[in-house]
Amino acid sequence: MSTAPRQEKIPEVSAQPNSTPDRQEDYQCVASLEELKKTSQLTRWLNDHDILLYEYEGQIKALSNICRHFGGPVGYHKAKDGVFTCLWHNWRFSCVDGSCLSHPGLPLRQYPVKILDGNVYVDLLG
Amino acid sequence: MKPYTLQAQFQADMDCPKEVVMWNYYDHEHLVGTHYKLYDKARVVAERNDWALVFRSKRMPLLPFHSSGIGFQYMDGNTMKSFHKDSLGFFLETEIDFIDLPEDRCTIRVTYRINTHPFFRVFEPFFKRLFEKWFWATWEEDAPMRIRRWKVHKLGFKEFSGIDYINRKIAKPEHLEPGKYVFDPPVRTSSPIKTVQGIERPFTQSLELGYDE
Repeated sequence: MSTAPRQEKIPEVSAQPNSTPDRQEDYQCVASLEELKKTSQLTRWLNDHDILLYEYEGQIKALSNICRHFGGPVGYHKAKDGVFTCLWHNWRFSCVDGSCLSHPGLPLRQYPVKILDGNVYVDLLG
Repeated sequence: MKPYTLQAQFQADMDCPKEVVMWNYYDHEHLVGTHYKLYDKARVVAERNDWALVFRSKRMPLLPFHSSGIGFQYMDGNTMKSFHKDSLGFFLETEIDFIDLPEDRCTIRVTYRINTHPFFRVFEPFFKRLFEKWFWATWEEDAPMRIRRWKVHKLGFKEFSGIDYINRKIAKPEHLEPGKYVFDPPVRTSSPIKTVQGIERPFTQSLELGYDE
């Protein structure tokens, strides 16, 4: 059953760790923290990357929203019990790190995240 | 007594090639995913390149119960023909015509027919209403799936792999040449849908955040 998104409070959050500082970076703004607070999960196309942005256990994380099975939207449903279920064929992915619970060899790509001036940025090359 | 044919026909356009829509109609696994509010079970009993024998359990709009049945579908050129005998005893024949339009668009025309006793003629308005609601209910759930499938194809998506520049964490190539979308059934599956268990929807309710297309 489809229901309207409900408001959820995002606690004090931190971004997931970034990778090494000497590599090329390409941080792009995905959304404001205010937008993310509304449902604590959102998806957005950004320069031909489909980003799944969410808060999990006090951290803001970003994964590729493109299921590696057939390209379905992993974040269409709100995650339940720490698991995303892709809309199209129900492949399941961990909110911890995007690992695929249905096919362990096909995890979702993680994007490094930075928070600056109330906005969330992801590194498209990270 | 000569049987009477209840018939209803609907059509709509899609902003993607017809082959993407063929894939969508031939993909049985998405029934309990994309259409989880309508379908609760699906099983591919047998399948070859251009035909499939399938079991489906679903709830149609306007009807207060689930119905299940066996269906056979096959490709006849640019038409998919489907025959479905449901648990109520009705034998539904469906023809889906896939028609090319310019600029990677297409028209889909679906014709539903039930040959039945002339007594059921009085139910023809209900039949038309029922299948009109069914056509649009499934269309609204399938349309964004087809558009997205076409979009990721143009970005170089490969099944059971993903998009190369995303996986490899490199800049998107300036020129991608994904080529024509090829419909090459049967659709590759990874679930137990071809086993005796089939597959079931994972849940009946969800907080849907939707697509961002």
